[in-house]
Amino acid sequence: MKTVPLDPAPALPPPRRSFLYQLAAGVVSGVVALGPLAAGLAFFADPLLRRRPTMKGASVDGYLPVAKIAELPADGTPLRFVLFADKVDAWNVFRQQPIGTVYLRQIAGQVIAFSDVCPHLGCKVDYKSGAKSFFCPCHASTFDLDGQQTNPIPPRGMDTLQVREESGVVWVKYENFQRGIKEKVAI
Amino acid sequence: MIRALGDWLDSRTGYRHLLYEALYEPIPGGASWHYVWGSTLTFVFAVQVITGLFLWTAYSPSTLTAWESVYYIQHEMSFGWLVRGIHHFAAQAMMILLALHFMQVVIWGAYRAPREINFWLGLILMQIVLGLALTGYLLPWDQKGYYATQVATNIASVTPVVGPALQQLAQGGTSYGHQTLTRFFALHAGVLPALLVAFLGLHVYVFRRHGITVFKKYRDQPIAPFWPDQVLKDAVACLVVFATILFFVRWKGAELAGPADPSEAFSSPRPEWYFLFLFRFLKYEWVEHNLGLAGGAIYVPGAIMAVIALMPIVGRWKLGHGFNVAFTLALFGGAGYLTWVALDEDRRDPELQIAMAEAHADGQRAIELAHEFGIPATGVLSLLKEDPKTQGPRLFARHCKACHTYNGHDGTHRPVTTATAADLGQFGSREWVQKVLVDYHEVFAPLMNGKEQQPDGTVAIIGERFLAGDMATWSKDNRAALTDPANAESLKALVEFVVQQSGRKDLEPIDESLAKAGLDVFQLGTLKTGTLSSGCTDCHTMHVAGQESPLSENPGSGVPTLTGYAGKEWLLRFIANPGHDDFYGANNKMPAFAETMTERERQLLVDWMTGDYYQPAESKH
Repeated sequence: MKTVPLDPAPALPPPRRSFLYQLAAGVVSGVVALGPLAAGLAFFADPLLRRRPTMKGASVDGYLPVAKIAELPADGTPLRFVLFADKVDAWNVFRQQPIGTVYLRQIAGQVIAFSDVCPHLGCKVDYKSGAKSFFCPCHASTFDLDGQQTNPIPPRGMDTLQVREESGVVWVKYENFQRGIKEKVAI
Repeated sequence: MIRALGDWLDSRTGYRHLLYEALYEPIPGGASWHYVWGSTLTFVFAVQVITGLFLWTAYSPSTLTAWESVYYIQHEMSFGWLVRGIHHFAAQAMMILLALHFMQVVIWGAYRAPREINFWLGLILMQIVLGLALTGYLLPWDQKGYYATQVATNIASVTPVVGPALQQLAQGGTSYGHQTLTRFFALHAGVLPALLVAFLGLHVYVFRRHGITVFKKYRDQPIAPFWPDQVLKDAVACLVVFATILFFVRWKGAELAGPADPSEAFSSPRPEWYFLFLFRFLKYEWVEHNLGLAGGAIYVPGAIMAVIALMPIVGRWKLGHGFNVAFTLALFGGAGYLTWVALDEDRRDPELQIAMAEAHADGQRAIELAHEFGIPATGVLSLLKEDPKTQGPRLFARHCKACHTYNGHDGTHRPVTTATAADLGQFGSREWVQKVLVDYHEVFAPLMNGKEQQPDGTVAIIGERFLAGDMATWSKDNRAALTDPANAESLKALVEFVVQQSGRKDLEPIDESLAKAGLDVFQLGTLKTGTLSSGCTDCHTMHVAGQESPLSENPGSGVPTLTGYAGKEWLLRFIANPGHDDFYGANNKMPAFAETMTERERQLLVDWMTGDYYQPAESKH
């Protein structure tokens, strides 16, 4: 193998404490070089180290008022509603902003809520009233009225959200779930 | 195996040669602490690049987000205080190391042939570092950086011919705004660091070419390599520098002053300490008189830089080196002296100290509010503009201090020359109510300073109508009875009742049973021993809170109503029109502020005076 010829080493006295010196020089240089980097990486890891709310204004257990029950069609047709809350984005708080949309269905007096975020890759799922089916415009995931997947593209059915009713008003616990996996895991 | 891999890599890259070149630089006379300064500078620059890149991941350059994102970095993000602190103090360390490096080069004569070019490269690096310091100071968009940088860009504007164009290019317009920040940020994080890296590369390359400058006595000594002895010394020096930086981060921390506010006068603009000498230089009248602004701020520093740049040439003559050393020492001595003068003057300037304390307090307040409420889309300034604690003192100083004082000052801790009306620092508190009852003439004594020209040419003292009025007389007549130790409880009860009626949150908790007892004193004037010359209801109107029928009504008498006395509603109505029949009527001399203050301003002032504003939990009393 052809190697680049090295310069001749200068005439040096035989090394005495050389190993200790080399070790010390290596260690101290390492500390000096890695110190600022470590501080920077710890700072960069902030999103993993601190969980912060993305909204304010929900009830203590995370519910937001969405609609009056009277607004929901009795035949079970899904309707999309906008949720309003104070949106928290890093240092900003934006008062009463639309923070997301959900589908609500009423079946025999019971209300079901679906997140309209596709469990596949997070696009917004449409409702096709003609086909009585949910349809995602990104990669054609389809779901039936109960949110069950009707083709193998999405990894799971649509995510249901917890619902409760208080004096004629529907409250929904608005959450986001990990996309692209079989299990429904809140994030 | 590792060796084979190393061989393969070396044949493709030649890294061993590079490593050898880097580590086995010959050092005549062996390693020395004298040689560490250049390495520490390079190290600190590397620290700035690393911390700067991480800060970049969180900083947002616009007038509505710069302060806000820096606040978030400093006070909300994990280790943000550490990374920003390191960046802040490393910048200052760089200035000191730069000065040391420069002095060493001059004193050792290291600028002489064949190292002239490298000396000039070093001077260019110095300018780039100064540029980084200047541009970085603006980025947090706080009052300090905002006003100090205004001075710098205005200096640029007096440059002959190109000045105004230069200023507008730097600012991105005729005044400061979003574009100023985006431009300064691009310079600070992009252009200047790239230039610094390029010139630093050349600097180190040329340095290696000529080798280290060695004292004569070492020149015949055996040669030792850079690795490991000098590397160890360099690394230890860097460690000491880094530890010092960390010490300052822990001890002082990087400050974030109040957010930049073009509408708010900032009375303590000072550059960072390393530019203080230039700042002080420009404050000499003879500088302005003889040199003019451009002369003092551009020609003189330019001439000094020219002399420095000529050092390698001057140094060729016998006495030249001596001159260079003397010039450098004189320069640093002079700059040091001016810095000291500037600091000393500031220390002795009480007005400046107040302004600095105010700027600091604004910063703390903005941080408190941002932490508690989050920042609206209109930026943190709108939080401060709507904050009674911030605006109240300023409104007081603007509208009230012409006559009143507030705990002896003008609300913002600045002195008031002559008060012609009562001190309102304790207005409405238990102490105030008691003092008005017992020492009315003392509370309102400043009214004697208020004089008014009468139509017939005589001068009338405004205070006389109050200090010789019914209430003053009542207070004098009943002082003995009220301060009788046997009646201490009665007085306390009376005060408690009046305070209760104000409905003020800042005076809670109220002793309900005491206040109930106070109602009797108020109405009937019955004390534990003896009675008052008259009850309060004999003159004053009073509707007790929560009761249908009034206790007493006496409208239009020029006697202030005590319904909700000193509470928010009472104060708002009073300030709007003190001459109303419910207040002083015809006796009034106070202006009606409904005409000169907006409703919002009056609201802020009253909220402040009645303590109705957000206080973080730990400072609540």
